[in-house]
Amino acid sequence: MHLPMTEITKNTAEGTDRRGFLTSATTLAMTVGLLASYGSCFAIGGRYLYPAHPGRRAWQYVADVARMSKGDQVVYRAPSGESIVVARQGVAGNIEDFIALSDTCPHLGCKVHWEDTKNRFFCPCHNGTFDAKGKGTGGPPGDASQELFAYDLKIEGNMLFINAPMERLI
Amino acid sequence: MGFSSWIQERLPISGDSLKELTNEPVPNHLKHWWFCIGGTPAYLFIVQIITGIMLAMYYKAAPETAYESVAYITNEANYGWFIRSMHKWSGTLMIAAMVLHQMRVFFTGAYRKPRELNWIVGMLLLIVTLLTGFTGYSLVFEQLSYWGATVGANISDNVPVIGSFLKNMLLAGDTYNANTLSRFFVLHAAVFPVSIILLLVAHLSMVRVQGVTEYKFKGEENDEKTHFNFFPDHLLTELGIGLFLMVLISSLAVALPAEMGAVANPLATPEVIKPEWFFYVAFRWLKLFTGSTAVITQGLVIAVMMAWPFIDGAVRRRRPNSEFSVWVGVLAVLAIIGLTVWEAAVAH
Repeated sequence: MHLPMTEITKNTAEGTDRRGFLTSATTLAMTVGLLASYGSCFAIGGRYLYPAHPGRRAWQYVADVARMSKGDQVVYRAPSGESIVVARQGVAGNIEDFIALSDTCPHLGCKVHWEDTKNRFFCPCHNGTFDAKGKGTGGPPGDASQELFAYDLKIEGNMLFINAPMERLI
Repeated sequence: MGFSSWIQERLPISGDSLKELTNEPVPNHLKHWWFCIGGTPAYLFIVQIITGIMLAMYYKAAPETAYESVAYITNEANYGWFIRSMHKWSGTLMIAAMVLHQMRVFFTGAYRKPRELNWIVGMLLLIVTLLTGFTGYSLVFEQLSYWGATVGANISDNVPVIGSFLKNMLLAGDTYNANTLSRFFVLHAAVFPVSIILLLVAHLSMVRVQGVTEYKFKGEENDEKTHFNFFPDHLLTELGIGLFLMVLISSLAVALPAEMGAVANPLATPEVIKPEWFFYVAFRWLKLFTGSTAVITQGLVIAVMMAWPFIDGAVRRRRPNSEFSVWVGVLAVLAIIGLTVWEAAVAH
């Protein structure tokens, strides 16, 4: 006994539609699953590769305020290996008297030194000069309007602290 | 001009011939999941390479810094504990999968002519992978790492004739020294992985050229279609297995993360010292026999395993349809399991 033609046609069309839908649905589910799972793995991997503590800093003791007079300077060595010039330039007795500048020239990384007689920082590599506040005044740093990097300072209990980079080289 | 035409003007490879080359007809028996255990270690190897490269970004291979760098990865780097645990569990499962795959190949006689060379390549893959595992856990520089490397080198010292030479080559000296760890790191991260890749290329090329050994199971003898396509059917199976493995490794990494033991102390051997689980059988064997005897017998066992296709061939030429290999295999598996469980169960 045979089913009427119209019923056969109807069943075949429905069957094809259902199979097609299931195939598409499972393919979509598989694709989404793969993207979600491997995507999560790559996201975790990316997070892992990014430094855990980028630019970690902490307040470190520099000197007793009372022991630094105007014109005095201390070369502070941060745990990261950077050397920072901490100078007293005023007598007001507050944080405005002090300045902390990196001794690394922003031009190409050479070390600058303070020339007291000329009241400036000088870089021997390309004759770069900086004023007492670290602003470039001559040579390549002056042309490029560069500055010596300044670090934050604070006074607590008559002690001077610097916000120093903590990432060690070794 | 379409993109594919642009490519074909520069790389004269037609898509059809590429499809023909790669779309290997896969025998129906590979629909049984235990025949897909061969792809599992290959997939896990890729996981090892990726996680290993990531670990190497923070690892420092020197006695003064190794332990600290692993501690940084485990305790401070973002998801470092997860990456490290994935690497550990993926390595464990890779070795387990290789052993299961080898057992499947052995008990289905797939090593027989013309596949003897591929069996030997497979054995070499297993040996290099075990060495990779050994050098890997030596890098953490905890007590197990240091004393495991020391014991391993002293074992190689017991090899007749070339023992001392092997030991000095392994340790970069007569005893563990400042150059040992960097040597282990280069072996683990470069030499052995490259060797595995080359051996894997040879292994898979031979499978492709010779075809997969074909089996028919009960109930499938009269199947009209005896093969199915690699793309997309078998590839989807392998992808599904890959997904399952990622879930398994991730779950193990979270439930049983890699920990750190005490830092290596060259002055004090721990009361209970054991290698990683995949060396338990060798470790127990060493406790049963003296130095040279143990090393020589282990070497003989490996040599016999390598040569088994030819031994089996010689036996079957005299007694066709002999099940001799199956019985030897069963005894060997029981012995390996027995020695491993024995070592795991006792402290000494």
